[in-house]
Formats: sequence, structure tokens, C-alpha cells
Amino acid sequence: MSLLPDLKFRAMKDVVLPVLMARSGRRRPPKADPLFGPPLKSAVELRRIMTRHYALAPYAAGARPVAWVTSGAPVELLRAFGCYTVYPENHGAVCGARRMGPELCAEAEAAGYSQDLCSYAKIDLGHALSGKGPAGRLPRPDLLFCTNNICQTVLYWYKALAHRYGIPLLMLDAPYISGARDEGAAVSYLTDQLRGMVPELERLCRKAFREERFLEVLAASRRASGLWGEVLATMKRRPAPMTVFDAFVHLAPVVSLRGLPVCERYYEGLLTELSARVEAGVAAVPGERHRILWDNIAIWFALKPLSRLFAEHGCVGVAATYTSAWAETAHLLDLKDPFGSLARTYGLIFLNRDLGYRTRLMASLAREYEADGLVLHSARSCKPYSIGQYDLRRKLGESLGLRSVVLEADMTDFRIYSEEQAKTRLAAFFETLEA
Amino acid sequence: MISASQGTRLGPAGPARPTVAAVCPARTPAEIFWAHGIRTIELWDPPGLEAGQAAAHLPPMTCGVIRQGFDRLVVERSPGPDLLLFPHTCDSLQNLGSLMRDLMGEPRPCLFFCPPTGRSDGTAEAFFEAQIRALDAELDRLVGPARPGALERALNWGWRRARLLRALYDRRAAGGWEVSNGRFYEAVRSCERLWPEAAMARLEALLAEPAGEAPGHTPLVFSGVVPAPADLLDRLDALGVRVAEDDFMACGRRIPRGEAQDRGEKQIEEGGNPYRILARRLLAAPPCSTVGSPIGERLAFIESLVARSKSKGVVFLSLKFCEPDLFDVPSLAAGLKARCIPVMSVDVELGPATPAGLVTRIEAFLESLP
Repeated sequence: MSLLPDLKFRAMKDVVLPVLMARSGRRRPPKADPLFGPPLKSAVELRRIMTRHYALAPYAAGARPVAWVTSGAPVELLRAFGCYTVYPENHGAVCGARRMGPELCAEAEAAGYSQDLCSYAKIDLGHALSGKGPAGRLPRPDLLFCTNNICQTVLYWYKALAHRYGIPLLMLDAPYISGARDEGAAVSYLTDQLRGMVPELERLCRKAFREERFLEVLAASRRASGLWGEVLATMKRRPAPMTVFDAFVHLAPVVSLRGLPVCERYYEGLLTELSARVEAGVAAVPGERHRILWDNIAIWFALKPLSRLFAEHGCVGVAATYTSAWAETAHLLDLKDPFGSLARTYGLIFLNRDLGYRTRLMASLAREYEADGLVLHSARSCKPYSIGQYDLRRKLGESLGLRSVVLEADMTDFRIYSEEQAKTRLAAFFETLEA
Repeated sequence: MISASQGTRLGPAGPARPTVAAVCPARTPAEIFWAHGIRTIELWDPPGLEAGQAAAHLPPMTCGVIRQGFDRLVVERSPGPDLLLFPHTCDSLQNLGSLMRDLMGEPRPCLFFCPPTGRSDGTAEAFFEAQIRALDAELDRLVGPARPGALERALNWGWRRARLLRALYDRRAAGGWEVSNGRFYEAVRSCERLWPEAAMARLEALLAEPAGEAPGHTPLVFSGVVPAPADLLDRLDALGVRVAEDDFMACGRRIPRGEAQDRGEKQIEEGGNPYRILARRLLAAPPCSTVGSPIGERLAFIESLVARSKSKGVVFLSLKFCEPDLFDVPSLAAGLKARCIPVMSVDVELGPATPAGLVTRIEAFLESLP
């Protein structure tokens, strides 16, 4: 990495952005909405740190090795090498929330990518082709880091990026865990791969591996994920101090910044705020009557209307399989066995396990969070999350008596979403909850 | 009309022990099954069922291979296969297996098999070998251990069959052979359902056919999952197209070529570790989207098919909702065009009949060829 870009990066990081962010930090918090409790003050800080992350990104090119990373990849290894990490999935969610999904998908489709493919992938490929996006052009990656523990799609997608940019793709192959008997072999395979990546990264990043630094990052990541788990657990309380729709938004740092001090600090602040709300009995939705478990990724472009619709019917989303994914296995990180525990933490997440495991996880979430309803988002883009949901729904209905509804939609592409149909289905679902 | 799609019913159940395994795509060590006396039937494009149950269990964005395979497996329980194998080929397939076993209470044994993805180094090979051993142990448990020497014999069948397939492909690529697209692929795809000795007899019979007068058909390379729809090959014959080489997931992408084949045969002769030989054979197969092969490798492979068969162009038959292939096709098409190789990419679905629009597009493509 060369000197001038490094100086520019440091100046932006340590001088320019802090000043700009301090000004934006004086912005007023979001307006209160009578349907909801007082807005979370931490939202201001969240906006600040995520804006800073994306604002700094262009200056990382040439100053740091820039890595584009899948959301389920063990980023701790890259952080030990000082990589600047960009999360295309998080960027996709931001584009989705800003209703830019169809526009960017169309860019990819014009280049020959099928309309039936994952919209996160198409947004990213569309961005790579056009440079369009709410944060401007993301820095060109020097390397790609992909783990197929969340889906196989990420590999196909990252292969396309690697081909386009002509850069190395580091692939961590996480075998699908079907039943308990596969765990040992899978963990051992993952551990060997992670160890093998160290010399590869030393070469690519031109930096020697320092175990001490790696352990620091692991410890920070474990603490941040643990804090995120505690944040989610506050929704076990009645009334819940925030909703899953809030959690979808506040998820961003643990996805994109875990292993960094800023991530840990952010969740300490959020947890303090939520704990105070629990103490004071502040409800996210005043008059909470029903508690909902959400399955699958958020419908980013419809977060606000959906959260209002829920609130109008006294429904609070209190848990989601999706938000739990970044807290579920964090306790497995063990500094005495860094590579092996990293393999377990990332290889054994529920998205990489069979549907029997997911059923048990959802039953456990429903019980712990005292959910009486289940909303399953059947995301057209996301096959591993969506195939099997019809029977999952039946199974959980039989075993727990959960009322449920399936919403056919997508994370970001509202071209295939019918708001009226969703409203009608949800209205019928809310009626069954009242029955 | 000869159809290369899987028109036969799944075989009958054995009286005393499992004899037939339904195997989902794409890459599996069939030899392990043969060593246990189990015939494998691969489920690529079984005919759809009008009274299928897929819609009640699978969301609309599931590909035809999964939907039709699901219907076959659920409807044809008896008589039907005795056990089911779900390799971890794609997200849809992994969930299909888990759906049937974990949520639908499938009574037959459901085996899972997880080949390495996106890697082919020593670490991947060791993991692959362990997976094959685990599959072998699972079959030992289900049907009893294989007889001594049975695995080695099965390995030999596998290599002999591959050698025959390679010879057939070589002959077809060279041209000068009056064998229709339908007959060629009927023989090639018989390997998906026949006991290896029977399949080899069929391949040998086709190979023994004299050169005859070759029609002056236009040679093209086809890529996709399978030759679909079912009557496409006959339609191509009628259009004057010879499928001179293919990059089909079910066909050409699974036949080791060149050095990989020779090396494997040598290893068998030397009597090495059979599990490792199998792992190496599967890893040495041509590049495929389902195992995460880099696009550059796939591009080079397809280009080599064009060169060896002197084909005039490449046709991508993109199966709707097949993510592994759909992600690769734009880069592959662009790469081939950059090398001045004419390319056509069309969406297809499994089914009995080729839509008129597809025929028209192929006609137009033929007319555009230099």
C-alpha cells in the first residue's frame, strides 16, 4: 500500500470525518410517532457510524487492502491483516431500504443476469457495472472473501465478481450440516482451510500474521456479538423495548463492523438505552397485545409500512431468525483455540444446518420470546431461507399452536411485491390472532 | 420418437434389501452404491406429474429439476427407490432433502453427501475422501458391507464407462457419423439409470455402429443442465443441428477427459486407496458451476469443446431458477463473444415439448452463423 493514499485515509478517518460526523451528530433524533414508544436515541449514533463507514470506504483504496466480504464470513481473520472490509449484502440492504433495488437489479439484468437471481447479488453486480448507489461507488476490491455458510449463492455471485475484477477469491467452504454426525468432519475441514488462508493473506496483504492482533480482534468480535445477543434478549421482556423492525436496522454494525472497537461501543450504548427502557417499562408499541416471530431476511423497502401495520394491530415483532444469526454461535469463540473455534462459530450457524434444526431453533425462540404468531417472509431471492417454509409453518403450528402467515416478497426488489396483497394477508392473520 | 429425458419409472424395490437408490444431481460416487449391489437412478428431468404435490411444499422460485424430482419421489413411493441420496449441489437441493426427511417424515433412508465446493486443493480432497468413506459406511449400515473386491470392481466399471463415454464424445466431435442427437444422448444418458454393465453394453453397441453417411448438419456446442425440453434433440435433428459437444451438467461436465482419465486409470491399476481415487476422479471432472469452478476455467473448457468439435457456435440453455448456471452464463457468453465465437442464450424449462419460440430462435441463430 502506498504512502499518499494512506495519508489521505488517515486524514479522513481521524480528522475530516470526525468533524463532519460531530456536526451530523447534533442532528435531531427522529420524530415521535403516536403508534410507537419514543424513538431510540441510539439511532442517531447508528446513522453516524454507518455513514462514516461508507464515507471512508473510497479512501481505503490504495491505503488498505480492500476486501469485499460475505456477511457470514469470519472477518476476524481479515481484520488481523488490516483489511478494509465492505459488505455487499449490507450495501444491498441499504439500497433496498432506499428503494434503489429495482434500478440496480435492472443494470445487472441488462448485462444478462436473469431476473430470477438473488436481488442482493444483482444489486451488487449492478453497482459494479454502473457505479450507482446511495453511497456512491464502493472502493474496488483487492480481494474477495466468501463463505457459503449462509447460502451457495454467494459463491456464484463472488465468482462473477472475481472474474469481472480479475482478483483473487478466498473461498471458505462450509459444509452443510445435516444432522449432528457431520459436525466433526466439517469443523476440522473448516479449521484446516482457515489455517491455510494465513499464508495466502500474508502474500495478498503483504503483511505478516500477528497472532496477538488476531486474538484481540477475536475478543472484540466475541464481545460485540455477545452484546448484540443481549440487545435482542431485551425483547423477551413485556412490553418489548424495541421491535424486530428496529433490530433489522440496528443489525448493521454487527454485520459490517464486528471485530472493531466502534461496534462494541455502539452495542454497549444501545444495550444501556434498552435496559433503561425495560427498567422504566417503556414499550416499543404501547398497548402490546401480540408478539410475533419473524422468519427470513427483512423486506427492506417495506420496513416502515410493515412496522406501522403491525403496531396498528397491537403486534410487536419480538424475535427473528435472521437477527439471531449474528449472536447464535458467538459464545463458541474461544481464544485458546482461535482457528478451531472460529470454524465452529461460523460453520455451525443455523443457516448452514438442516430444517429440523431450524424448526427446533424457531420453536425455542417462540417459547423464549413468548411469541403467539409467526410471519414467514418467503423471499423470492433467497432459496435456502425460503424452501421448506410451508412445512416449517405447518410443523410449528402443530407443535406450538402458532398462528402464521406467509408473505411472498423479496428483500429489495419491490417489482415482485404486492403491497395490497401483503396487507390483505396480514389483516387476515391479525384477525386470527384476535380470535 | 427417441427422448433422452428420463421417461422410465423408477425401478422396483428389491424383495429383501434395498436395490435401487434415487440419486439427485449432480456429482456423486455411484461406485460406492454399485459396490453394495445398489442400482442408482439419477433424478435430473423425470417427466412432470399432473397431480404433483410440489406446489404445496415448494415456493414458486424452485427449478424444474427440484420440483419434478420432488413429485417423483413423493408420488412414486411404492414401487420406487429404496433409499434417497441428496448431494449438496445447491441450496434448493439441500433443502429438498431436509424438507423430505425432517419435515415430511420421509420413511425411506435419506442420505446426504457434501462434496467440497469452490476448492479442489489437498484440504478439499481429504474432506471429500472422508465424505465418500462416510457414505460407504452408511450403506454398510443400511444394506450390509460390500463383498471383498466389490469396490475395486465398481471402480473399474466407473473408469471403463467413462472411457467409453469419452470415445463416444470423441467420435461425435469428429463428425462423419450418422447418429442422431436423440440416439446419441439416449445412450449417453442411459448411464443415469442402468446398472453399469448394461449401460456399458449400450455404449459399446453405439460405438460399434459404422460411420455411415453423415448428414451435413451444423455442429454446435450446447451448455446447460440437461438437453431440455424433452423433444429438443429431435427438433434439433429436424433443424439440421448436430450437438457436436456439450457442457451439460448431466453429461459432458461429468466425463473426465485427457490426462485426468489416464491418471485415474493408472491409479486403479496400481491399486491405490479407492476412496481417494474416487475423490480425485470427481475433483478432476470438467469445471462445473455446482462445484464453484472459476468462470475462467469454464470458459476455457467450453472454448476447447468448440475447437475440438469445430463447432460454429455455442447455445446456452439456461434452466429457469438454476442459480449455479444462471450466474455464470453472462460472463461465459461475454467471454466467448470476445473470442469471436457466436453465442445464443435462451431460458428453458423442463417439459415434454419445445416451445415454438425456442425453435424460431435457434433457426434465427443458425441463419446468423457465418
